[in-house]
Amino acid sequence: MIFRQLKELIRKELLILLRDRQTILLLFLMPVALIFFMSLALEGVWMDKLTERKMQMVVANESHSPKANLLEEKIKFHKLIAYVGRPRGMDSNQIIADGKAQAVVTIPKGFEEGNKPVEIYFDPQMDAGYRIAARSLITSITAEVVMGIDNLETVVAGLVVEKTKRNKELPSPLQQTVPAYAIFAMFFIAIPMSIGFLREKKDGTLQRLFTYPVNTNLVTLGKIIPYYLINISQFTLMMLVGVYVISHFISLSFHVGEHPWHMLPVTIVVAAAATGFGVLVAVLGRTPEQSSTMAATGAILMGVLGGIMVPHAVMPPLMKKLAMISPMYWGHQAYLDIVLRDASFGAILPKLIVMTLFAGICFCVAGRKVQWI
Amino acid sequence: MNALDISSITFNYDGMSVYALQNFSLSVEDGRMQALLGPNGAGKSTLMRIITGQLRGYAGEVLVYGGKMPDRKALLSIGYAPQPISLYTTLSALENLRFFGAMAGLPDEQIVSRSEVVLEQTGLMAQAKEPVMSFSGGMQRRLNLAVALLHSPKLLLLDEPTVGVDPQSRNHIYETLTELNAAGMTILLSTHIMDEAQRLCSSVTLADKGAVIFSGSMSEIDNLEKFFLEKTGRGLRDA
Repeated sequence: MIFRQLKELIRKELLILLRDRQTILLLFLMPVALIFFMSLALEGVWMDKLTERKMQMVVANESHSPKANLLEEKIKFHKLIAYVGRPRGMDSNQIIADGKAQAVVTIPKGFEEGNKPVEIYFDPQMDAGYRIAARSLITSITAEVVMGIDNLETVVAGLVVEKTKRNKELPSPLQQTVPAYAIFAMFFIAIPMSIGFLREKKDGTLQRLFTYPVNTNLVTLGKIIPYYLINISQFTLMMLVGVYVISHFISLSFHVGEHPWHMLPVTIVVAAAATGFGVLVAVLGRTPEQSSTMAATGAILMGVLGGIMVPHAVMPPLMKKLAMISPMYWGHQAYLDIVLRDASFGAILPKLIVMTLFAGICFCVAGRKVQWI
Repeated sequence: MNALDISSITFNYDGMSVYALQNFSLSVEDGRMQALLGPNGAGKSTLMRIITGQLRGYAGEVLVYGGKMPDRKALLSIGYAPQPISLYTTLSALENLRFFGAMAGLPDEQIVSRSEVVLEQTGLMAQAKEPVMSFSGGMQRRLNLAVALLHSPKLLLLDEPTVGVDPQSRNHIYETLTELNAAGMTILLSTHIMDEAQRLCSSVTLADKGAVIFSGSMSEIDNLEKFFLEKTGRGLRDA
């Protein structure tokens, strides 16, 4: 009788959940859309600066000396630079402000004599990494001209070689966004979970349930298991979308790493943490409106802190430390260990322990606070 | 044997200084249809919730066919239609019946056969597969009753079963209850509609402020509404 009751409790919960279109959109389509657009938006973060994208550059040659002309020529025909002719009557500020170019290189009068350095004026919105790469390039070309060397770039390139694993040259944004938004969506389960619980309390169906010989532990399991299963489905779907779908629309690839089976324990624990969060919100909320606000705000805050929206790697040191208070950080890092770093299970385990603790605390607090009727 | 024996129940909700029920006693003879009347705040719904095991922590004793509540087996001899329409509105009538049938421990085949019976009794057979949210208020009320009847209870507890329904649905519910009572089902009917109580019930318990103020045969009362107002007063009860 107990298993049959549990089966029907789960079936009922899934039927209600799957018939709610808004919930399906929230849990399954929102993360797919976020993965798609955020991957495009974050493309530049892991891009090999300059080699993947030419910089639009204006050269203002005020010297017109032979070396200055040579420098202008070298910049103009460099394979990593998209030369833009200098617009008439516009100074560097205007050129940048009007979006004509991303940088203006000025070769001043007196450059030949070594009195004045070459000046670079960058678009202030430009990514710091991109700016450093461009500055190095112009420095290198200028050194060639000043020192009279023809192949400095080639010589320098041979001195230091970047060694990487096969297919691991640079992570694609999908490596960040697929696990990130899968976790994010999993925590959003707290919204339908808490609303459903409070609605049942309000309409009396939960009270009616207890007029039958049903154990409260069974009802608890009947509430948790369906959302846990939805969590697992969300993650599976996001992985499939990452590997097979999104890479066809945007020319980015997603690799699951050398130990993809490590995703199983990580997903089991992340789903437990997400459902734990959902149970806690359901128990603490007094009205569906209150609980949905609590769930959404909580999930977004955890996402912002945990490196879901802004990659942890690009955060300043203080934020990197603060990130550790978010359970999403630990889950995300565990997934990044798998898809980026090919880490051993031993390296992932501490993150799993933190997530399990978070889930345990949520369930314990919820268990103490719950009021069924 | 009485279907229901309630002895000296005293109960108050957490944080409330006033008792919801105080030394409340009531008996319902097997096979009878008995009315439970009282103004707002009399404790009728609280009593129903205590009988059905939803509320604990009371003093006194509740016996259902001799079984002391809360008792799993005794719970199954009770059918309860709460005052709020307590159904899953995105599920169909059949899905609701299947769910509550499983909670009552009915085997699948019995759920199917009993669902047909109760849907027929409540006039909802044609809408069995439609979602409850598409039902009118009267249809939802009837399904609320159908769920209570599904596991063939011996004692039916009804908390204002005709609130907000049209005369046709109300009449259908009255006819169903009369048939069920004639077939031997014991019914405790909590209502605010005096005509309903007088038309259907053979005995009456009148409660006010958590205590029983009258208990007797309906035949002793000529005009129930007048009697009710005499006993409970004409002042407004907004509790």
